[in-house]
Amino acid sequence: MTGNSGVAILVMAAIAVLLGYLGVPVAFALMASVFVVVVLFTHISLASIVGQLFNGVNTLTLLAVPFFLLVGELMVSANITIRIVNFAQALVGHLRSGLAQVVSVFSLFFAGISGSSTADVVAISTVLMPEMKREGYDPAFTAALIASASTIANMVPPSILAVVYGSVGNVSIGGLFLAGATPGVMVALGLMIYSYYFGPVGIRKGRATFVDLAVAFKAAALPLLIPFIIVGGILTGQFTPVEAGMVAILYVILVLLPLHSRGHFKRLPHSFMHAGALYALPLMAVASASAFGWVLAYLRGPDVVSGWIEHAAGHNGIAIMFLIVLILVIVGDFLEGIPAIIIFMPLILELVKLGHIQPVHMGVVIIVTLAFGNITPPYGLQLLLASSLAKVAWSRALVACLPLYAIFFIVIALIIVIPDLTLWLPRWLFPQSLGCFTNPMTHVLTCPQS
Amino acid sequence: MPDAIVFETDRHLKWRALDGLERALMAACGLCLLGFTLAELGDVLGRMLHHPLASAQEFSSGFFIWGIFLGGAVAVRRDTNFRIGAISDKWTGTPRLVAELVKRAVMLAVAVVLTVFGYLNFLHGFGSFMAPSETPIAVLYAAIPVSGLLIAIFVIEGLICGLRNGFAGELTDVERAVAASTATDQPIA
Repeated sequence: MTGNSGVAILVMAAIAVLLGYLGVPVAFALMASVFVVVVLFTHISLASIVGQLFNGVNTLTLLAVPFFLLVGELMVSANITIRIVNFAQALVGHLRSGLAQVVSVFSLFFAGISGSSTADVVAISTVLMPEMKREGYDPAFTAALIASASTIANMVPPSILAVVYGSVGNVSIGGLFLAGATPGVMVALGLMIYSYYFGPVGIRKGRATFVDLAVAFKAAALPLLIPFIIVGGILTGQFTPVEAGMVAILYVILVLLPLHSRGHFKRLPHSFMHAGALYALPLMAVASASAFGWVLAYLRGPDVVSGWIEHAAGHNGIAIMFLIVLILVIVGDFLEGIPAIIIFMPLILELVKLGHIQPVHMGVVIIVTLAFGNITPPYGLQLLLASSLAKVAWSRALVACLPLYAIFFIVIALIIVIPDLTLWLPRWLFPQSLGCFTNPMTHVLTCPQS
Repeated sequence: MPDAIVFETDRHLKWRALDGLERALMAACGLCLLGFTLAELGDVLGRMLHHPLASAQEFSSGFFIWGIFLGGAVAVRRDTNFRIGAISDKWTGTPRLVAELVKRAVMLAVAVVLTVFGYLNFLHGFGSFMAPSETPIAVLYAAIPVSGLLIAIFVIEGLICGLRNGFAGELTDVERAVAASTATDQPIA
């Protein structure tokens, strides 16, 4: 990189951060910084950069994003989520800190349906927050727990971060879906264990009888089929991730709404309008981040940073992943997960090669790290949302959230050090996603070493 | 979820005359989502019935791209685009005025670049065609200058209203983040 390129990168980053803190929306701050640097430091035409905004979103795989957002919107607005809450209550409501346990289990189930942590926060807050308040749960703890649990939606299928990561990084989305399931379960278990030992006692309830459990399961069974439809459709090769999202919407509209919430049909146009307006927000960020990342790559930024990382960590995949996690924890405090993936993808691809890291493994580590960014200041969107809904000061919710950070650190460290924690499921169910193939001569499954 | 389509918050920064445009753009976003859902459905059904719809993916792309850029434009009026917590929201007096003017000037400049250079790309787009329908790709490229123009209109609306009535918003940082992440300014619970 020439000195000029270094200055250009610094100027671009400084303008983006400065404008961001001045209140300019992220997408506009990124675009403005790119336009300034392109005019001052390069010979690239602005028309090419505007074309890059278009190219950034002209990817059919990204169509899965609005589909999964719409599924979440329909499930929440049609109030179907209450059935899943009741099932979670029957499963774990009798444990110590029962409602906190319900929050974790519900989030795990709901994450398998919507892929949107925002929908998760809204769903659980409307149903459980009043009850948690009645049982004397500290609103700050409630907000912290709900926000932390909602991040699971970014990890387990159908995770929107996984769709974007797979689409931009050319990594199997099915593989990312499966590999993200284990960290999602680990975070849910971590939150349950924390709540059991350190959460408020709540009002102890009796264990649900087998009949109660069966009734609750029957009521929730149809919504809970959605993750199986999505993942099953992808694994069996029936659908692409995009088509799986569309099939999930059809399932909600043709099966769930008629059976569980018939009155919601007249509100369907509103749901489409809201979801239509919602999906544009992350994808505008994708468009601008894509132009930002493209100029960054043009200025050879990823080469330089990967050079620094190589200097510090050599070719050790684990050390490289810890360093990129450190960078993304810092960056994730200031930047939303989706633009962060787009901007850092060229660097991530360099590091995957440098450390001979399995791309699906790297993807899941990045996704879990960026999901954690949803509850860290100052841009911890889910913590902001949950504290607002719990009507508690954001600073108090943040303090209550600090001990929960340990769970994320432990999960991230474990999945880095033990790749099989994430890779066992795709290796078992979808080995092609890891680059494995069946040798036509010996019929033995062969997987690349990484 | 509440029914309101047009955002009522920060009314002092908006003209009633543009409410119809916001409502129309929201409807367009919903229609785009419906459009590419149906196009994907047609694609899958056609494949299952061994009569693949060759143009289904072109329709999907078209609705998807237009939905993004129209949604991005209407988000400017609703102030729901992703933002980092703005330090300037806590300022008052002249510093606040300067910050608001800079913010809107930057957004206006971006909108002008999108409109002008997006229009140039649109003109070039008549030389490239989507397969298999041979439709000029300009049909998709047009979304960017249209979005730029709409963004410029909404930024100018906010600028003029703000200079007349003051820029201080009704929402706190947290409430704005909630509005941005739920696409509604109504109480959720």
